[in-house]
Amino acid sequence: MAEALTAPALDEANAAFVMSGTMVSLASRNPANVPSVTRALGCRLSADRRRVTVLVAASQAGALLEDVAATGAIAAVFSQPSTHRTIQIKGSDARIEPATPGDSQGIEARAAALVADMTPLYTESFVRTVFAHDPADLVAVSFTPATAFEQTPGPQAGRRL
Amino acid sequence: MTLSVDAIRDCLEGAVPSLVATCAPDGTPNVSYVSQVHYVDPGHVALTYQFFNKTRANVLANPRTTLFLVHPETLARYRVAATYLRTETAGPLFESMKAKLAGIASHTGMTGVFRLLGADIYRVLEIAAVPGAQLPAPAPRRSLLAAVRASAERLGACGDLASLFDATLDCLERHFDVRHAMLLMYDGALERLYAVASRGYASSGVGAEIPLGRGVIGVAARERAPIRIADATTEYGYGRAARAGAAALGAQLEDEIPFPGLPGSRSQLAVPVVACGRLAGAIYVESLEYQRFGYDDEDALVALAAQLGASIPLLQAAEAGEDAPAAAPERAPVEGAAVAVRHYAANDSVFVGDDYLIKGVAGSILWKLVRDYVERGRVEFSNRELRLDPSIRLPDVSDNLEARLVLLARRLEERCPVLRIEKTGRGRFRLCVRRPLRLVSG
Repeated sequence: MAEALTAPALDEANAAFVMSGTMVSLASRNPANVPSVTRALGCRLSADRRRVTVLVAASQAGALLEDVAATGAIAAVFSQPSTHRTIQIKGSDARIEPATPGDSQGIEARAAALVADMTPLYTESFVRTVFAHDPADLVAVSFTPATAFEQTPGPQAGRRL
Repeated sequence: MTLSVDAIRDCLEGAVPSLVATCAPDGTPNVSYVSQVHYVDPGHVALTYQFFNKTRANVLANPRTTLFLVHPETLARYRVAATYLRTETAGPLFESMKAKLAGIASHTGMTGVFRLLGADIYRVLEIAAVPGAQLPAPAPRRSLLAAVRASAERLGACGDLASLFDATLDCLERHFDVRHAMLLMYDGALERLYAVASRGYASSGVGAEIPLGRGVIGVAARERAPIRIADATTEYGYGRAARAGAAALGAQLEDEIPFPGLPGSRSQLAVPVVACGRLAGAIYVESLEYQRFGYDDEDALVALAAQLGASIPLLQAAEAGEDAPAAAPERAPVEGAAVAVRHYAANDSVFVGDDYLIKGVAGSILWKLVRDYVERGRVEFSNRELRLDPSIRLPDVSDNLEARLVLLARRLEERCPVLRIEKTGRGRFRLCVRRPLRLVSG
C-alpha cells in the first residue's frame, strides 16, 4: 500500500491500455468474503494515474456496490478481445461516486474502439448493445491501484506488473 | 426462484467469455475471464483447470465464487453464485472439456497454450437474470424435438440392420439438416470402430477404421460420452487418428480404407451408441460452419443414438431366426477371364485382382463364401452357419455378425463388380458371382 501512495501503480503503457478499446469488469466481496462481480461500461484515470474510476450500470451491479461500500476491496480487469491481452488491477480503498456528465461520452468512445476491435467476429449491434445504458443509471467505483497483474491467458498469467 | 443451468446453457458455449470472481482468504477479490464454463447437469457447472492461477488458489481456500455469463446472441446477462466442490482429472466430463478446450484454443490461436489439467466442478447455488439491453433471439433453425420424433418413428419402422443404418443417416439429413454424417460400429475384440454408412463425403469410407480412444470419435466411444467441438483441431483430427491407427497395426499391405472426411471441417460432434449397456458404435456429424452444433443438438443426437442403440440388438436377434431357404434363383451367367481372389490369413485381408477389398471378420466371411462357391458350388447361405463356422473368428460376445455382413455387402457394392451379396430373407443371403474365381492363399 505504501508503495502505491508514492508511485502510480499504472505506468504510461498500462494506463494507455486501460483507456483503449478494452472490456472492463469489476469484482468485490462482502464481509464474509463472498465475491461479487459485474461487467463495467467504462473507465476514467486521474491525470497522475493514481486513481482509477470504473463506470458501471447500478441496475446491473448486483451486490457489488454494496460490497464496495462495506469493504472497499476491488479488482478490475481490462481485456482487449482481439488479442486477449488482459491486465488486472487491485485496490483496497474503493468507494462509490456519482458519475459525471462526460462519462457517457467516454463510454461511447470505448464502444467505438471495441467495435473496431471485435468486428467481424461480433456484429456492431452486439458490441453497441453491450454498452447501451441509461446515463441516470451510471455510477462510478473509484480506487487507488495498489497492485497490477498480467492476466493474458497462458502460464505467465498472474505475473505482477 | 433460481433458474436452472439448463435455462442458460447457450451462455456456456464459450462464444462470449465468462467472468469468474473469487476471493482470497485475506479478502482480496480476483476477477478473471474464462473461455469455458461447462454444463454438467441442472445444478452443476465445471471450469477448466489449466494453470495453477489465482482463481484456483482462491477456490481451494474459499470455495465461494460468483460468475457472470452472457448469452452469445441476445446478450442476456446472468449472475451465478456457485461453490467449488472437487476436481476431476479423468472420465467423460474431463475428456469432453478437454476436446472442447482444444477447439477453443484452436479458434483463438492459442493451440499449445491451453492444456486441461482438471475439470473443477462447482455446485450452483443461485442463478439471477441481470437487467440490460438485449438483442432479439434468432429464430430457431428447426425444432429439434420434432426432428427427434420424426427420426424415432422412422427408426422404429426399420426391419433390418442395413435399413436402420440408412434410415439414421437419412434422418440426420432430412430432419436435422446435417449434411456430413457417418455411422460406425464397434469391434470389441479389436477395440476399433468401423464405418458402415456415411453421407456427404467424396468417398463413402465404408470399412474405414478408428481405434478406440483416437480422435473425436474414438474418445467419445471410449468415454461413452458425446464429444462436441466448435472449431476442429488437429489434435482431434480423425485423419491423424486414422493414420496413427494404420501405423499401430503394422500393416505391410495396402489394406487401409481411407477415412472419409470434410476438408475444413470446423464443427464436430461424436455421440456413442450404446446397446444393452455395451458400446455398439458411434454417430459422427460435422460441418464447415463454426459452432454448428450446440447443447440442444447434442441432446437430440444422444436421443437418436439411444433409439439406434435400442434397435440394433432387436434387429440382430431377428436375423438370428431364419426363413425357409430361398427358391433356387435363375443364375446370371458366369463368364469372362478368371479373377484372382487372394486371402492373407494373418489379418484375413482379401484382395480381388490387385485391389484391397476388406479384412478382419468381414474378410474371413468373404473367404468362406468364395471357397464354398468354388469348391462346392454353393451360393445360398445363412447367418446361422456363419456364426457356427470355426473358420470365421467371430468374437464370442455380441458378435455383430449382421453389421459385418452389411459392411461386406457395401464394400462389394462399391469396389467389386464381380461379387455381390443379396439378402434373400430373414437370416439368409445369396452370393452372386459374375466371373470365374481363382482362389489364392497369400
